[in-house]
Amino acid sequence: MKYQSQKIAYWFFAAAMVLFSLQIVYGFIMGFARIGYDVLHDWIPFNTARAVHTNLLVVWLLCGFMGAAYYIIPEEVERDLEWPKLAWLQYFSLLIDGVIAVGCYHFNIWEGRKFLEIPRPLDYLVVVNVLMFIANIGVTMWKGKRSTTTSMVLFMGLLFAALLYLPGMVQVRNQTVDSFYRWWVVHLWVEGVWELIMGGMLCYLLIKLTGVDREVVEKWLYLIVGLTFLSGILGTGHHYYYIGTPRYWLIVGGVFSALEPLAFLGMAIYALAMAKRGERKHPNRIALTWSLGCAVMSFVGAGFLGMAHTLPQVNMYTHGTLVTAMHGHLAFWGAYAMIVLAMIAYALPLMTGRKLWDTPLASWAFWTSNIGMLGMTGALAVAGITQVNLERRMGLDFMLVQKEIQVHFIGMLLAAALFTVGIGMFIVMFFRHGLPNDEALGTDVAGDLVAVGK
Amino acid sequence: MLSKSQAKTFFVGGTVVFSAAFLALTYDSMQQIPALTHDDKITPAVERGKMIWEDNNCMGCHTLFGEGAYYAPELTKVVERRGKPWLKLFLKDPQKMFPGERKMVQYGFNEAQIDDVIAFLEWCGNVDLQGFPAKPPLAGKVQNVVSSGGATGKPQPELFRTICVACHAVGGAGGTVGPPLDDVRNRKSRADMMAWIANPQSIKPGTPMPKIDMSEAQLNEIVDFLLSLSGSVPAAVAPAQPQPTFE
Repeated sequence: MKYQSQKIAYWFFAAAMVLFSLQIVYGFIMGFARIGYDVLHDWIPFNTARAVHTNLLVVWLLCGFMGAAYYIIPEEVERDLEWPKLAWLQYFSLLIDGVIAVGCYHFNIWEGRKFLEIPRPLDYLVVVNVLMFIANIGVTMWKGKRSTTTSMVLFMGLLFAALLYLPGMVQVRNQTVDSFYRWWVVHLWVEGVWELIMGGMLCYLLIKLTGVDREVVEKWLYLIVGLTFLSGILGTGHHYYYIGTPRYWLIVGGVFSALEPLAFLGMAIYALAMAKRGERKHPNRIALTWSLGCAVMSFVGAGFLGMAHTLPQVNMYTHGTLVTAMHGHLAFWGAYAMIVLAMIAYALPLMTGRKLWDTPLASWAFWTSNIGMLGMTGALAVAGITQVNLERRMGLDFMLVQKEIQVHFIGMLLAAALFTVGIGMFIVMFFRHGLPNDEALGTDVAGDLVAVGK
Repeated sequence: MLSKSQAKTFFVGGTVVFSAAFLALTYDSMQQIPALTHDDKITPAVERGKMIWEDNNCMGCHTLFGEGAYYAPELTKVVERRGKPWLKLFLKDPQKMFPGERKMVQYGFNEAQIDDVIAFLEWCGNVDLQGFPAKPPLAGKVQNVVSSGGATGKPQPELFRTICVACHAVGGAGGTVGPPLDDVRNRKSRADMMAWIANPQSIKPGTPMPKIDMSEAQLNEIVDFLLSLSGSVPAAVAPAQPQPTFE
């Protein structure tokens, strides 16, 4: 850590850890409801648990992205944040907004549109909040000593994410139009601009951890985010197959979403190649493990499993079944959760001055959580495929089929328990680092090596 | 080998080109959607129904157009599948219709709200979804296709036609939750049927059969109808007969 103002990142990361834990709790509530133990139904019905589960995911990932930006940008442009106090204000207002929204869901107050459940008045607070964030980062970059591709890509990702939130706020009377613009937020976030954010963060980590020349790493970053937009923008079409939109979306969506895995494959090859090429043996091996894991798992979860049900002929039967939940879990984990955890694993020792890399607990956290998540994905895959065959292909009654697949949710819960243990270990590691402090200042760009005491 | 500035050109150029294409297709879609969705049929009741749908986050359990959560049934064609009388009864007290099963929140909708929700779902059912949801392609291979030859009898009473068939089949048509009723008169007496339908829980606690409010006349009408059925249950639908054992 080189600048005082980078410390704020720690608090964003800490909030992310707390919200992530809560997300897991609500996941368990849903898992138990699915095997017949919906004992909390009167207080937390399934739709509340589901909204809280997905919204907390988004908020903790955003916390992670924002923390990452507050850490990366000063270092990339070589100056302190323009308004450190504004960053604090933004931090608290984001958390307050989030807590109010989640509270509302328990009292049947929401906008009630998948992933955009936040009650409309709170939407405006989100906008103000994100404006504060973008302004702070933007002005810091504007006044910075240098401009780098990494920081530009990261900033562009964050800026477009903010702009794309707006179409989701428009209220319309036609359900099809409603859905059409809802996907502008949801799809263009996770299969578009968030990949820019992820790419920017991954690029930064690779430069730091492998020591490969910045020019080389950044050139490939351009190509990969280029591929992302090339496939991802028109790939939105895979949400427009069966919602009352024109027929040509079947072809447009089918072709371009078939190209989407290429961007993720590129990302995986790129990260592995850079790591191999890198000569510097950075002592923080676990941060590199998370970075490479992220690149590989995002290909498996987002690229490969997405492709598995994105063709219109297949999607006709998988659309609206647990197959989507299967893909969703591994995609969000691989692409976004893991990049945030990688960033935390990298930045924490540098912010706190405690060199807790390469501890057995940190490795255990990585492997246990990943195996747990793969197990959950497997259980959902079996449940989803069975549901598709029995309900959609053979025409059996919905609830009859739900009872048939109930047993797979026991498997899901077991895998989720393993996952939780892994995340628990990560969080223990997090708090063992202690707080960010001034002694950690001075571990500068040229050497993360300073932090190692070389 | 590609230089960094060429890579940047690829990124910026690709983004501009494909964003433009996306916006053009969006513009065209907005021109076509009113016809595809029968936008002119969006009455105030449909709009109110949509608000109720959103205010209660129905998508948090159900799917509509295949979008939502996967905890409760897909509702795009629900009006066609269940019929309005069944839906009205169900929305008044969802848990009563499926006792002991996965629960829906008791929203306590009034009559007007129920009508609005149904109007909204009916409008959704008529949107051109390019063939979604598809007819189950294997249904014919796994279910016995029965002609109505099995069951002859009186015409189905209104209540039976709209409510009971959601779970029970007659002549091979109807639900599969409860047993088929073609030959019920061979198994149950008139008194049995009257007592059972009037209050299933009192006879077999925990049964998924709901207690449906009906008048004495309606109850009689249904039992008369059931007693008039002279069919036998088609082989593939009938529960397996116990096999004779060797002595």
